[in-house]
Amino acid sequence: MAVRTPRQIGEDVWKTRIEKVNAELVTLTYGSVVAQLCKDFTNDYIQVNEQLDKMGYNIGIRLIEDILARTNSERCRSFKDTAEMISKVGFKIFLNITPAILNWSQDNKQFSLIFDDNPLSDFVELPDDGKAINELWYSNILCGVLRGALEMVQLQVEAKFVSDVLRGDDTTEMRVTLIRVLEDEMPVGDE
Amino acid sequence: MSFYLAIIGSKDNAIYSLDFGTYRQGGDGTSKFSADVRQLCPFIVHSSLDIIEEVQWTNSAMHLKVIDKFYNYLISAYVTSGNIKFLLLHETRADEVIRQFFVDLYDLYVKTLMSPFYSVDQAITSKVFDQRVKMLAKKYL
Amino acid sequence: MTIYSFWIFDRHCECIYHKDFKRPMRQLRPTSALSSTDPKQRNTSGGPPKGSGPLTVDDESKLVFGVVFSLRNMVKKLSGDQESFFSFKTTKYKLHFFETQTNLRFVMVTDTRVDGVRPILEQIYAGLYVEYVVKNPLSPPEHPGGEGVNNELFTLGLDRFLRPLSIFE
Repeated sequence: MAVRTPRQIGEDVWKTRIEKVNAELVTLTYGSVVAQLCKDFTNDYIQVNEQLDKMGYNIGIRLIEDILARTNSERCRSFKDTAEMISKVGFKIFLNITPAILNWSQDNKQFSLIFDDNPLSDFVELPDDGKAINELWYSNILCGVLRGALEMVQLQVEAKFVSDVLRGDDTTEMRVTLIRVLEDEMPVGDE
Repeated sequence: MSFYLAIIGSKDNAIYSLDFGTYRQGGDGTSKFSADVRQLCPFIVHSSLDIIEEVQWTNSAMHLKVIDKFYNYLISAYVTSGNIKFLLLHETRADEVIRQFFVDLYDLYVKTLMSPFYSVDQAITSKVFDQRVKMLAKKYL
Repeated sequence: MTIYSFWIFDRHCECIYHKDFKRPMRQLRPTSALSSTDPKQRNTSGGPPKGSGPLTVDDESKLVFGVVFSLRNMVKKLSGDQESFFSFKTTKYKLHFFETQTNLRFVMVTDTRVDGVRPILEQIYAGLYVEYVVKNPLSPPEHPGGEGVNNELFTLGLDRFLRPLSIFE
C-alpha cells in the first residue's frame, strides 16, 4: 500500500467514513455546556477553563482510538509528523477544519495551530462582564482533547490557547508543547 | 426622516432600542426628533403593544405592517414566532422596505440568540449587534 | 484449525479481557468458559488440575504477557522502533500478537496451522473494541480488572465475529 499523506487520509476518512451531524447542533450543544459551566462556577472562568480541559481530556483518550481504528496509519516518526496528523486528520475528521501549523520552535518541540475557522465558536459573543474577555478560553476543550489523545500515543504535551478571535485578537492560536515521550509501562511485581 | 426602533421581549420587557435617521436625501443617520418627541418615543411604541396583542392572533403573518398612529408618526410591527416584537416608529408609509428591514433584523436577532451566553428576553448589550442594526438601517431606511 | 484463547492487555500491562475457546493444552484451574476478570473469583473455582503445576488464569495471563512483552521489546531493540512481531509458533500452538499505537495488546493463541490472524485482531480492535468499549460513554476510560470491557455487546460481538471464521472449528 502506498504511503498516504495525512491530508489524503483525512480527506478520505472525512468523505467516506464519517457520519455527519448538523454543525449548529454541535455549536449549540458545546455553547450550552460552556454557558452552564460559567453559571455553575459563578463566572470563575479560570475554573471553567480547567473543567473544559478535563472534559476534553476524557474525550481525547477515546477519540484517539477512533482515529487509529479508522485510519490504520503508522506511528509518527517525529513530532512534526504528529502535528500534521493532528491538523490534517484529527481536526479534519472531527470538525472538518485543518488548522495551519506555524511557529515551530528551534528544538521542534513547540508549534502553534492557527484556527481560521472554529465551528465551536460560531455565533458566540463572550459575556461582557469585563472578565470573560481576559480569562475565558472558550474553546479550551480542544486543548484537553489534544492532551488526552496524545498521551495515549505516549506523547505528553501541554496545549493552551494564546489568542482567540472571540477576545478580539486577530487569530485563534493554540500552542502545543511536547514535554516528553512517555516510556512504555513495565509490568509490575513479576514474582 | 427619523426612526425609533424597539425590540420587546415575550414578557413585554424592553430588550433593545435605537433611534436613528435616514441617510437618504442628505441625512446623516442621526435622528432629528425634538427632545420632547424623543422622550415620548418609548411611550408611543409601548402603547401599541396592546394593539399588537389583538392583531397578532388574527393575522398569521409576522409582519403586521402599520398598526398604530400617533399624530403624524406611524408604528410598524413584526412579531416573531417566539413572541418577540420588533416595533418601528416612522414618518412615512413604506411597508415593503420596512418588511425587508424587519426580516434582516430577525436574522440578526436569531444570531444573537444563538450565542450561548444570551438567553431569551435578556437585554441585548452586544456592540456587534448594535453596529449591525445600524448598518441595516443605513441599507434600507 | 481452532482458536485456543484470546487476550487483551492494556497499556498498564494489565489483562483487561480474556476468553478461552478450546484448550487442548493443560487445563487451567478456573475453567469457566467466559473467565471472570475479578481477581477474587479467579482463584476460587478450582477445576481439576491436570499434569504438573496447574496454572490459574491469572498466572497464565502473566506468562502470556511476559512473553509477548519481552519478544516485542527484543524485536524493537534488534530492528528499530517501527518493527513489531506478529506471531510465534511452538509444536503445540501458535501465538499471534497485535499492538495498537495506544499500547493496547491483542493476543490470540491458535493451533499451529492458522495463518493471517493479524487482520482479525485488527478488526476486533477497530470493529469491536473501539465500537463497544471505547465509544461506550458509560465505560470507564481505563479498565482496571477488565471493568467496562467485559460488557455484553463486546462479548457477544466477539463471539459472533469469531464463530463463522474458518479458523474457528
